[in-house]
Amino acid sequence: MKKTIIMLLSVLLVSIAKAETKQQITIINNGKAGGSYHARTQMYRDGLVAAGYEVDYEDVGKISQAVKIFKETDKPTIMVYSNNQVYKQDLFHTAENFIMLEYQQPLYVCQTNESKSKTSGLTVAHGKGYDTKLLNKVLGDDIILVPYKNSSAMLKGILGGDVDMMVNNQGMSLKYMESELGTCEPSNLLPTMQATVIGTNIDIKQMREVIFEITMDIPFLEYHNSRQLNRPSNTWENELTTVKNYEKQWQN
Amino acid sequence: MEELIAVSLGLFAGTVTGIVPGAGVTVAMVIATPMLMGFDVTQLLLFYMALASMVQFTGTIPAVFLGVPGETNSLPAVIEGTKFNRRMMSQLAVGVSAVGSVLGSVIAVALTFLLLSFLIGHVSVFFSNNTKFYLYIFVIVFCVLVYNRGNVLINITLCLTGYALSLPGESDISSNIRYTLNIDDLEFGVPLMPVLIGFLIVPTLYKIYNDHQRVKQFKGNDVAFKKVLVYFMRCLPSSIRGSVIGYLCGFMPGVNTILATNTSYSVEKRLNRNSPGRQLVASETANNSGQFASMLPLLLIGIPITGSEVILYSLLVDAGWSPFQFDNVANNADMIFREIVPWFVLANLVGLLVAWPFAKQILRMFTASKKYVIISLAIFMIVLNTYLGIQDYRTVLYTICLIVFGCVGLLIRKHEPVPLIFMFILGNDIEAVFLRQMLI
Repeated sequence: MKKTIIMLLSVLLVSIAKAETKQQITIINNGKAGGSYHARTQMYRDGLVAAGYEVDYEDVGKISQAVKIFKETDKPTIMVYSNNQVYKQDLFHTAENFIMLEYQQPLYVCQTNESKSKTSGLTVAHGKGYDTKLLNKVLGDDIILVPYKNSSAMLKGILGGDVDMMVNNQGMSLKYMESELGTCEPSNLLPTMQATVIGTNIDIKQMREVIFEITMDIPFLEYHNSRQLNRPSNTWENELTTVKNYEKQWQN
Repeated sequence: MEELIAVSLGLFAGTVTGIVPGAGVTVAMVIATPMLMGFDVTQLLLFYMALASMVQFTGTIPAVFLGVPGETNSLPAVIEGTKFNRRMMSQLAVGVSAVGSVLGSVIAVALTFLLLSFLIGHVSVFFSNNTKFYLYIFVIVFCVLVYNRGNVLINITLCLTGYALSLPGESDISSNIRYTLNIDDLEFGVPLMPVLIGFLIVPTLYKIYNDHQRVKQFKGNDVAFKKVLVYFMRCLPSSIRGSVIGYLCGFMPGVNTILATNTSYSVEKRLNRNSPGRQLVASETANNSGQFASMLPLLLIGIPITGSEVILYSLLVDAGWSPFQFDNVANNADMIFREIVPWFVLANLVGLLVAWPFAKQILRMFTASKKYVIISLAIFMIVLNTYLGIQDYRTVLYTICLIVFGCVGLLIRKHEPVPLIFMFILGNDIEAVFLRQMLI
């Protein structure tokens, strides 16, 4: 009996000690359900919990508000991010906040089969945050730019016959190609989108190791493979240099 | 199991909403928002379907027994139900209305099944900006001409106010922040909840409170099931007619069930001038048929056409639903018949049970505790607004907006706020659609 009590007490003490050493971290969800930001945040949250972290999940749902909280917080916090947001949100990748480059994808230029013979006055769907001057530079001055709220709305626009072309992300472009109503080509002239993870009030290098392990797990591998996302794994220094270079492409 | 919970909650919310005079599906959706935020897409659709169907059943109860419209489309039930009530036959009126409502729902499902291939075959029509452009023009014209007894000046003012409230923050066509009046919190736009509570719920609670003074008693004898069925069979042609008229009117944005009920009622009044039973059955049948039809544009192609559907739409998008469903129509159609219709049938059967045999008991329960219901609702709304403000990190703005919009809502309580709410919620999208229409 005595032995059993001692054993139970030992187990209890070990559990308490273990609980006390659990590291706390806040993860901010900056995307809506169904979007890539949201999906990635959920996977990181689950991964952090599995890695023994006590995760405080802040479900903000809007990137601009999430950035505001990220800038003001004094708690250890991480957030998924991408380089196309840096100028708009005034939050750039630095050695103090950059944790990891998760994947990158080019922008695609898609055109309907019907409009292939058209030489001028092509209507081009683009996201509302895109640099219109750059689009004119790449696609010519005689195009008509038609703004859409997001990548999904652009896809519907081109499927519905609103526009002759669209400049869209990889996922929506692949979907459009599946419809066989037109073709898409990745563009070398348009900016490349890079998905990253950033953090504040934490040991960046230590967190990178944890985050990297999470991305090597099955859910992340499936996520990347199913979307044909290219993952340029490298050293932290090289990734940061690449991200800093690529984010300049998004300056309007 | 999760589906059953969603349907049960929807049925409960629908029962309460239908019985509370003046409260409608939109109000119920707003009140249920915190709970709905945790629902997935299917649960949200089932909750809404159960709620909207149930309201059509139970809305008849206060209309017939008390002469108070439970829903905005219960006016024919008030007029014709009162005639039954005078003859101590209100139970019969509620009974035939409930049976007619079930038939209306069944006919609506059958019509959908028949027309579905046509809809899917011509879905590319709905893909384009062009379609949306004309649909929005139609909705705006309806908002201006139909609400507030067709008072164009009032409706235009409400539309413009709603649009003005939708302007601050980021638009759908540009990432630039606009009209924030140097208030940081306005960068994310005027919050939805204070607008809904202020313009919709505050005036509704005020009206319910005032109705409370009038509601004293209700009367009626119990009627056997067989007698109800026999009476209903005499009204069957009117019921079928009402179902078809209601179904077609159900597609009309903004006015679906109101138009369905009143058109069917008018037609029946012309055909059977001296038969209050047929007029009542036709209008109540049209109600349910129109309700199902009104959900189809949202379910099939992702276009909300009523105020309550707009709220559902934003919740669906938050739950991971694609904002547009044009490329997914076949799957959506399959989902309607596989996941929605069976529960819709169940909801109608429960509606039949609640609206008919238990009508008097339910009404008695409510009239006994109505004062507490109003107080609880008012407190709940304030707590809800503050909670959502904290969640959105904009508590002060939420509170100020609630006070301001609540006061304005009370001042304009005699007017229907639907045009304002419609333009507030869809203003940004309408602006984007109109701009693209000029560019393309």
